Amino acid sequence: MPEAAAPKPGAAREATLNATLGGRGAGGAPLGVLRERARIAYDAQELPRWRRSGFWQTSFEDLDLDSLEPRSHAPDPTLPAILTGQRSAGVLVQRDASVVHVELDPELAARGVILCSLEAAANEHGELFERYYMRRLLLDRHKLEAASAAFWSGGAFLYVPPGLQIAEPFQIVYEISAAGSAQYAHTLAIGDRGCELRLREYDLASGEIAGDALHAGQFELYLEDGARCRLAQLTDWGEGAVSDASTAVVEVGRDAYCHWLPALLGGRLIRHHDELVVAGPGGDMAFRGLFFSQGQEHLDVFAVDLHETGPSGGDVHWRGAATGSSQASFEGLIQINPGAQQTHTYLQFHSMMLSDTAKLDAIPSVLVSADDVSASHGGTVGALDESLIFYMQTRGLTRPQAVRVIVDGFFEPLIIQLDDPPLEQQIRERIGAKLTAAAEDIERYALAR
Amino acid sequence: MPSQLEIRNLHVRTEEREILRGVDLVVRHGELHALMGPNGSGKSTLANTVMGHPDYEVTDGEILFDGENITELAAHERAKLGLFLAFQYPVAIPGVSVANFLRLAINAQREEPIKVKEFGAQLRHAVELLDVEDAFTSRHLNDGFSGGEKKRAEVLQMAMLRPQIAVLDETDSGLDIDALRTVAEGVQKLHDDQHLGVLIITHYQRILDYVRPEFVHIMLDGRIVMNGGNELVERLEKEGYDRIREEVAARA
Repeated sequence: MPEAAAPKPGAAREATLNATLGGRGAGGAPLGVLRERARIAYDAQELPRWRRSGFWQTSFEDLDLDSLEPRSHAPDPTLPAILTGQRSAGVLVQRDASVVHVELDPELAARGVILCSLEAAANEHGELFERYYMRRLLLDRHKLEAASAAFWSGGAFLYVPPGLQIAEPFQIVYEISAAGSAQYAHTLAIGDRGCELRLREYDLASGEIAGDALHAGQFELYLEDGARCRLAQLTDWGEGAVSDASTAVVEVGRDAYCHWLPALLGGRLIRHHDELVVAGPGGDMAFRGLFFSQGQEHLDVFAVDLHETGPSGGDVHWRGAATGSSQASFEGLIQINPGAQQTHTYLQFHSMMLSDTAKLDAIPSVLVSADDVSASHGGTVGALDESLIFYMQTRGLTRPQAVRVIVDGFFEPLIIQLDDPPLEQQIRERIGAKLTAAAEDIERYALAR
Repeated sequence: MPSQLEIRNLHVRTEEREILRGVDLVVRHGELHALMGPNGSGKSTLANTVMGHPDYEVTDGEILFDGENITELAAHERAKLGLFLAFQYPVAIPGVSVANFLRLAINAQREEPIKVKEFGAQLRHAVELLDVEDAFTSRHLNDGFSGGEKKRAEVLQMAMLRPQIAVLDETDSGLDIDALRTVAEGVQKLHDDQHLGVLIITHYQRILDYVRPEFVHIMLDGRIVMNGGNELVERLEKEGYDRIREEVAARA
């Protein structure tokens, strides 16, 4: 990926078919109406295929939707393993189609924090729900988006009132428990004026899923004036046959700030559209992301840094590694709308190839419609450097240990910025486990060179 | 029996050409050797081959460590036996701090991970020896280091890993006089205190103002052509490699 020259307004993007949500939202109507619209869109559409060129497509056409169904569960206060030993401001766990557990620090509840299922929020906090629900999400761009909007159940709703500063994280877990499960997930989170929060979402399989399963998720976070949030999403569907088509949007208001890091660490077929929108003057964000694809996995990420007003800041930095015969595509887009003057943003993507049969594409683009801005992109394409491996071997490390150091070091600049030791540790451990699983591939690649 | 590195009739080639053409050399634990030679004489090839670099093919001869033939061993196995190479051009390892890397390397050679306290004490000791700031060990290894810092980091690793025998490949190149003195004195101290066996490979004699080799060898065109003591260094300083080359040619 070469260093970009000064971007021209309306720089060509003919290589791609992806478009931003661009501030459009389907909300503003009663939930029943929206569900019905989504159901009509669902019936009218075929399963999606994203085709960028003759060399790349992401297809959900082979998914047998009829074999999948939402599965209900009774309440279960047992915390998922990933949360054990962690301190939390609140926890919400959805297993397949049901929210099975919610807990919230009573002190926070007394101060006006709301954490409940989205179903409950629609009934009990109707005003907040209707003000925000699908304000920046759409329901008819493709069949799985429509399915999520039409059929979601359970769901997560978080509201943090103005000025409240909360150090411990809120944790939302979406768990798929068995093959045949169709999980339609929806998270709506709101950080009101001047509040400060941490939010983590985990999308995980409980054990290996032997057979097809689907997660079609929608996520929306609204940060009102001066609110600050550190958001991390860890997706790891394991080595089973889980498909995931999800959209997430974060709106950063006036003088608000968001640090957002999606970590995509496993799933047979993943299509994510992650869009971060700076919607108010003085808004600022750091959009980080990492992925590691292995085996036969197929990963397609569309990450958007959208500036609707200025002055605003942005800093997009993603890193991805691929091994086995996996395929990964990262498309990063900076879009600066007319009038978003004095916006300064930068997009960088770094990749590391760990096998000669893997495929890893990076497509950065910049669309600028204002003249007093700076926006550019850069990145690197890397493979394992044998001189580093030899150096570490002379210090007594085995080849797999040396590879581990290199890959850890590759992701570390992002992980360390999480400023969240338990989460950092979880991500490091999962990367380590993936490397162990891919050890043979990596060795073969080294010998082939 | 003290550890020893023995090189017998070593012939080495790369893809392009034969570089070493029959090298014999013995370095024992506790001895300090200097191997001198002009550019292209094969010094770095010898250093890399001793450590098992995969790009160098041994076509004849062998390398023994404590009597065991290690010619076919992987680099990490040689390291575990007690061999160390300080690189001429140490590579950067982004994302890994000096301290964390040292801990990994130390633990790679042990059954039980080193205790935090023990590691901390060793690290403090090494940091003082090499005259670096404490913050140095939090920086990513060799990432953005100056030439002097890289060489200090090499000797710091050597102090921490406590090898039996260390090969220093042009550790003096590219150093200013202060860095050179610190690094050289560090090596001398490890030799004196830990009885480290050292093979200093150098083009110039200036590092030898600060360390005192007991054995000096001169390499020309892939062979060691002269062995002696410190007097060889002085002679080389006065006469240069050309005179020695002429003398060797006349001898042949």
